[in-house]
Amino acid sequence: MATFADRWLLWLFLAPAIILLALFMYYPMVGTVIESFYETSFISPEPRFVGWAVYEKVVASRDFPEVVWNSIVWTLGVVVLQNVLGFFTALLLNQGLPAQGMLRAIVLLPFVLPGVVAAILWRFMYDPQLGLINSILIRAGLLENNAAWLADSSTAMAAVIFAALWKGFPFSTLIYLAALQNVDREQIEAATIDGAGPIRRLRDVVLPAIRDVVLVNVVLTTILTFNYFDLVWVLTRGGPQNATHIFPTKIFEAGFGQFRFGEAATYGVFSILVLAVLVSLYVIAQKAAVNRRGTA
Amino acid sequence: MIDTRTNRWLLIALQILLAAFVLIPFFWMVSVSLKPATEPFAIPARLWPEAPTLDNYITAFRPEFRTYFVNSLVVSLSTVFITVTLGLLAAYAFSRGALLIITALMSAVVLAQMFPHSAIIIPIYKMMRAADLLNTYWALIIAYVSVTLPVAVWMLRGFLVKLPVSLEEAAAIDGAAPFRIFRDIVVPLARPGVIATAVYVLIVTWQEFLFALSFTSTRDMRTLPVGLNDFIGQYGIRYGELMASSVMVSVPVIAVFFFLQRYFVAGLTAGAVKE
Repeated sequence: MATFADRWLLWLFLAPAIILLALFMYYPMVGTVIESFYETSFISPEPRFVGWAVYEKVVASRDFPEVVWNSIVWTLGVVVLQNVLGFFTALLLNQGLPAQGMLRAIVLLPFVLPGVVAAILWRFMYDPQLGLINSILIRAGLLENNAAWLADSSTAMAAVIFAALWKGFPFSTLIYLAALQNVDREQIEAATIDGAGPIRRLRDVVLPAIRDVVLVNVVLTTILTFNYFDLVWVLTRGGPQNATHIFPTKIFEAGFGQFRFGEAATYGVFSILVLAVLVSLYVIAQKAAVNRRGTA
Repeated sequence: MIDTRTNRWLLIALQILLAAFVLIPFFWMVSVSLKPATEPFAIPARLWPEAPTLDNYITAFRPEFRTYFVNSLVVSLSTVFITVTLGLLAAYAFSRGALLIITALMSAVVLAQMFPHSAIIIPIYKMMRAADLLNTYWALIIAYVSVTLPVAVWMLRGFLVKLPVSLEEAAAIDGAAPFRIFRDIVVPLARPGVIATAVYVLIVTWQEFLFALSFTSTRDMRTLPVGLNDFIGQYGIRYGELMASSVMVSVPVIAVFFFLQRYFVAGLTAGAVKE
């Protein structure tokens, strides 16, 4: 292009961003891998090279399988619920009903609300004595005694997932709504004239048209959810008895709570591996989308 | 076709249900923040206080809170300014440069937006410690600029590729220097993209918690999210004050967002849907 006939200028424009990302995003990814081969603790803060010893210790620990299992439940739970609710909300907002603009603004509220505020709000909602959840459930006759949602290891994860759903579904709604608005009106009208009911139109016209967006959005929310820290940390700090400890909370606790950087980095490497798998899926999903558009 | 009317009512009922699901927690947050200390929480809780008062806000606006507010403001606004400036420069190069390596670099930028912050925080912490920047604004600003740049570059590039190159070419023929073309033609045209990106960066940095929690150690350097989290321990049972603080933390971003919503939604979804 004319503007960048001068290559030097091109690199000058790029340099600040590239250098920052190299130093503070890419180097730390490598740094975490290196760190995982060293052991540090509060008592001996001088890093000591120990090879795979930290990995052996982490994998053999009681916490590790719990963190893995919790991460799976948390990620699957939030991603499925968030995308389903997000999609149906987008459908609802795309019906040309009155008050639609206002409802869209309302739905976006939890998305804008700072994560820590949302977490504190839900901590309060779940409070056994003062919380609104117990108050509503008892009044409706669905619950007899005050339940300690976040302090009971059998309900804590479900409670955290529900709060995350409330905070997270607006983002999916936003993406799906934009996709729905791009669906060809004429196709829908043609299907209606051919006698297709709303469910058939959804299945045979709308869903195929936005398949790519759904696919990409599901992978993206999976990555974001797997790495989400704020809500879980403020709600439960990973407790009770590890019931809600996921990778990010475990990394923070090991690293900045106990100054075991090696252990934290080892958990970090595992989450980088998970990311690598998810990113590969993302790339495949996008490639498939581009190919399909190319042939269509 | 017979049941269109029923369907319509069903849809409206669903809309009301959805609004209730979203709004009840908000409503309660505001209600409790306005409750005088004398009004009990006892179950069944009153949905709206009998005698609303701003007492909780006055108490919650204590000197610490003001410090956190100033810290958040300094860090967020600096980050917005630096990220948008550097992002715009990079996005312009990415949208106009045709080299193969440029495409590869752009993929690397997009990839970085997915990096887990918890997995990269320890090396960043050590770098900040080595540079003696821990517990300063700079530790947070540098970290925030780095983590917000990928999405910023991606959003801005989405805008810039749509701008017609002909204007820039005309200016070049008239003898305008490349940097002047960028400043006087491209930047003004990219304004909607710049606003959308700035809103995005503000929302992210205003609520950032993990880096702020790890990189600041004294009260005078804490930002609002970390300060709020500290309040849980300090004023755990005084929910009225806690909710009043929460409302004060949220109002600035919510206001900015709704004021500039149309830019933001267009910016985010243009990239997400069409790319």
